[in-house]
Amino acid sequence: MTLDDLIHDVNSKCASLKDAAALLRGMPPAEAKGLLELMTNQALSLADAIEEYDEELDAR
Amino acid sequence: MPKLSILVIEDDPLARKVMEKQLGKHTVDFAADKASAKTKLETGHHDLCFIDLELGDGEETSGLELIPLAVSQGTYAVVMSGHDSEKFVERAYAMGCNDFYSKGNEEANVGRILDRFMGRREKSGQDLFTQRFVTEDPATRATITDALKYASSDLPIIILGPSGTGKTSLAKIIHDHSGRTGEFVAINCSAYTEDLLEAELFGYRKGAFTGAGDSRKGKLLAADQGTLFLDEIGSMSLKMQTKLLKAIEEKSFYPLGSDKSEKSQFRIISATLEDLQGLIKAGKLRFDFFQRIHGLTVQLAPLAQRQCDVFPLLSFFTRGGKRLNFTPSAKERLSRHAWPGNVRELKKFVDLLVAGHEGSVTPEAVARLLADAVASDGGGAFTSDEQYRFAMKNGLDAAVDRLTDEIVRRCLEENGGKKTKVLTDLKISTRLLYASLKRRPEMKR
Repeated sequence: MTLDDLIHDVNSKCASLKDAAALLRGMPPAEAKGLLELMTNQALSLADAIEEYDEELDAR
Repeated sequence: MPKLSILVIEDDPLARKVMEKQLGKHTVDFAADKASAKTKLETGHHDLCFIDLELGDGEETSGLELIPLAVSQGTYAVVMSGHDSEKFVERAYAMGCNDFYSKGNEEANVGRILDRFMGRREKSGQDLFTQRFVTEDPATRATITDALKYASSDLPIIILGPSGTGKTSLAKIIHDHSGRTGEFVAINCSAYTEDLLEAELFGYRKGAFTGAGDSRKGKLLAADQGTLFLDEIGSMSLKMQTKLLKAIEEKSFYPLGSDKSEKSQFRIISATLEDLQGLIKAGKLRFDFFQRIHGLTVQLAPLAQRQCDVFPLLSFFTRGGKRLNFTPSAKERLSRHAWPGNVRELKKFVDLLVAGHEGSVTPEAVARLLADAVASDGGGAFTSDEQYRFAMKNGLDAAVDRLTDEIVRRCLEENGGKKTKVLTDLKISTRLLYASLKRRPEMKR
């Protein structure tokens, strides 16, 4: 993972997390649950991307 | 806002969910990868398409590859990106995308994009028939609207119609709607000898022939990524057709005097007032060349067949200038005119009217200026397409008789049936007049 890739991932994933969080307002609980699951997966994949870049730095 | 058909190409499930919510009022379809996006773009008609710059397949900017396909389907292509680097924006626009935005705050982004799309669609619809190709004729409007559906494809187009009906204007409009980034380059094939046409089209290197003092870029290269408009295609020699055919097929050619080929991605639109099938039968148009330049055929009607356009065109040509008032009988006289030179003749007529002193236009002024407009129109077509076809079918003598009878009839009408006046005005013999009357007995009084 390059730094450019990481920047792209952080920008894209944070942007959709932010928009998704705004959508939660007034959303029926069942639908909100589904959206929260997607948000959790997004946050986890973001953490994975950061960790991957960190590991690459260690390997250098 | 009308309900739009929108395709969102996005690999991120959360981003897809966000877009689904933001575009809730419209019909939204999704594709998560390049392959399904291609299938959906090819099979469905979408008004807009949102394309993620990176589709998570490991390839950098893989979403950009979908832009040409989307544009060729007439879809308004929007690129969404987590990068906002100039490099990516530039590449996306170079590939033909219509809009680009950096991800974040999708509610505002999507709203702005939809506003721009609707604004462009309305503007293009409104201006088209009131500014760019003035017509109120439903059939002509339908013809042009249909043609514009193919604007963004690479399909070659042939525009048929008599001289002065707006073939060049329509070709330019199609180019402007095509999304092609290059220029609209027009050439009238009948205005050049074979050698000159070759030099104009292919360009030449310094010293390629006597008088070639400097190298010059040809029209084929000038039309790279744009449109090459070949007017009067029927007048191109067979030898030239062969050379151009090769350049069209290979999208590359050799300028005169050069051993280095040039590449050019141009789209061909051609026009003629001649009967293409007749040209092929007569051996004046190569069938293989015809096949290369023939994709969609657009037939423009002469002004005589769309009389409802005469006054809208008059208003358009006098817009912002001298205000003219036509008396009812002047209007009636205008509506009877056949406009053999079509819109070009009408424009000339307006120029003559505006240059004159009369603000109120009488039938006499109309008759005088129409005659002047035809007489001064040296380059225009005195013979209409219909007359030409009639002559080809029935022979020149029959066509001349028909033309004579038509002129005699009109002159008789304008002079209240007075034959002596007709003889004087038309400077014809009594014998010719009576020969005409004999052919058209209904003209006798």
